[in-house]
Amino acid sequence: MSLTRRQALKSAGAVVVASSLAKPAIAAKDPIPVGYLPALTGPSSSTGVGINRGIQLAVKEINDAGGIDGRQLELITRDTQSDPTKAVNGAAELTRGQKVSVVLGPVNSGESLAVVPLLARTNTPQVHPCWVDSLTDPQKYPMCFRNAPTNQQIGGAANRYVMEVLKRKKVAVISDTTGYGTASVNAYVPMLKAKGADVVYQGNVDAANPDLKPELLRMQSAGAEAIMPWSVNAGFLSRIINTRGDMGWDVPIVGQTTLGSGQTKDLLEKPDYWAKVYPNNFRPVCYAPGGKLTDRTKAFLDRLKSAKIDMGDTLLWWIALGYDSPHMIGDAMKAVGTEPEAIVGYLNKLKGFPGVYGDISFSADKHDGYPDDEVVMVEANSLKDGAFNLAPGYSA
Amino acid sequence: MVESIVSTGLAIGCIYALIGITYNVMFSASRVFSFTAGTLGMLGGVLGSLFIGRLGLPVAVGFLLALAGGVLLGIVTEIVAVRPVLKSLDQHLYVLSTLALALIVQQFTAIEWGTEARPFPRLFDIARGGFDQQFWLPMLACATVIVGLELLYRHTLIGRAFLAIAEDTYAARALGLPERSLRMASYALAGAIGALAGFAGGEMLLAFFGNGPMLTFYGFVPVALGGMGNNRGAVVAGLLLGLFQQTANFLVGGIFASVAVFTVFIIVLLARPEGLAGAAVQRRV
Repeated sequence: MSLTRRQALKSAGAVVVASSLAKPAIAAKDPIPVGYLPALTGPSSSTGVGINRGIQLAVKEINDAGGIDGRQLELITRDTQSDPTKAVNGAAELTRGQKVSVVLGPVNSGESLAVVPLLARTNTPQVHPCWVDSLTDPQKYPMCFRNAPTNQQIGGAANRYVMEVLKRKKVAVISDTTGYGTASVNAYVPMLKAKGADVVYQGNVDAANPDLKPELLRMQSAGAEAIMPWSVNAGFLSRIINTRGDMGWDVPIVGQTTLGSGQTKDLLEKPDYWAKVYPNNFRPVCYAPGGKLTDRTKAFLDRLKSAKIDMGDTLLWWIALGYDSPHMIGDAMKAVGTEPEAIVGYLNKLKGFPGVYGDISFSADKHDGYPDDEVVMVEANSLKDGAFNLAPGYSA
Repeated sequence: MVESIVSTGLAIGCIYALIGITYNVMFSASRVFSFTAGTLGMLGGVLGSLFIGRLGLPVAVGFLLALAGGVLLGIVTEIVAVRPVLKSLDQHLYVLSTLALALIVQQFTAIEWGTEARPFPRLFDIARGGFDQQFWLPMLACATVIVGLELLYRHTLIGRAFLAIAEDTYAARALGLPERSLRMASYALAGAIGALAGFAGGEMLLAFFGNGPMLTFYGFVPVALGGMGNNRGAVVAGLLLGLFQQTANFLVGGIFASVAVFTVFIIVLLARPEGLAGAAVQRRV
């Protein structure tokens, strides 16, 4: 039997009509693919492991509660292994192969520096928690949002604490020789000087240097009244703390969050040496004077405990940060659907999303959502259940 | 300041010297510079921390197991990275093969042990302060190795066999010496010395996977300055390197200390390419 052109066109038309009628019914039950690029292994994985616990809990909660209008969130994870190349490969596969609606992460700045420009070309909304300032730019990356502080906010909080709370004017700023360390010193020293500080010592030191006494003696002889180290290397930071203790030098150390990590604690020669060490942290996940958490954070801790999520080897703010991201995206999808432009439009008008980690707000020309006043300093030796006491000088 | 330069400088110099001797022991037996020397040092620290700190074994047992780990890696180096390339020494393929093995071990350590520095246990329960054990332990280890190697090479038959291999491999083989077994034994010995360097220096350097490249780099300087295969030269050059590096830390500080160290290194090599204690190479005509 021969098939005329008219019959073929009719058949094709019927197929198109039939498929377009059937599609909404199927799509309404399809899971929503959400791309996720954590560093679960490799040198910078401790952050990713903590964040991952929060993300997994949030996705489970959303799905257990019925998902997004009846559709489950399907978290499609690609471990970046702390490697920017693998992060780029993962991002390409998530957007081209898996056709995800949104990408969460990467969670380390080095990986995000490689991934953000790539995702900007694929019309995919992205939410990441990385601190490097250049990782958001509404003009260059209009679909990329940051639900965490910038380096400027982190350094600004530490500088404010040294200058305004501790009233120290002569400051020593030291880092290791990594990109993060040198960039931090180069960014924070001008900020300190602009606030009227006298930076009496500024240096980058190889993190493997086993003896930092020469550097601390140089700081001491220059009259430093506070040491501000910027490094994520626990060995380097612990050597600064130990040397200060061995010298019997009563000077505060104010700086990077790793100063308060368990790895740094393990490397201290004496537990007492951890006194007067003030790392960055975030007010909503800290104990206020009197040892209290906010109601929102306390309820979150209870949820973590009932879900049997391990807190012993990680920090509360990492889990809280991870927990907030799917909820924020879930709220956007419930409100406007899963189309990229609609999600970005929603986020561009987001005001005070009530996260455990912090209240997040964006606008069309500001994609850095974390509030300045929630970046604080804490007492390193007060760690309990993954959270710290606010450093002396902060009010409740 | 002087006290700190001497104690820390000599201690770190002894660690460099021991890594230099590790290079030399392997070089003497095979004419190969194995870049696993620094990795052996790193492994000594990590295994010491693992056995004593984490698993809670007695110090003596942990020490012996750490050395055994070094011996094992030394033997594996000889079999995997050195033996296959001995026939083409002039092509220097050993640079690639030994570096590759060192990288494999380093990455494996990073995955299994972690990428953060971890504490190395106090070996003797003595109060801290003054001339602490973290300073005198590397010095004691270095002195022990120097005396031990002198006794081995000068007063034992196997030691003389090592020297014979180092002097002229072909002649030694013609005389019936088991060249392959002796080379393997040399690598095992080098493995133990490298692991001892990391173990004795564990409190200073911590148990950290990233110590491997640092020791490979700085441990090679005494070899180049002291003369290749010359253990006495390596010890003197290692101690000088440690003292100079620590002095530079005090005088110029920061990253400039490393610049100063390698500037002097290059100047010395330009002035004496055979090293401070090395003899000029005689060319057959």
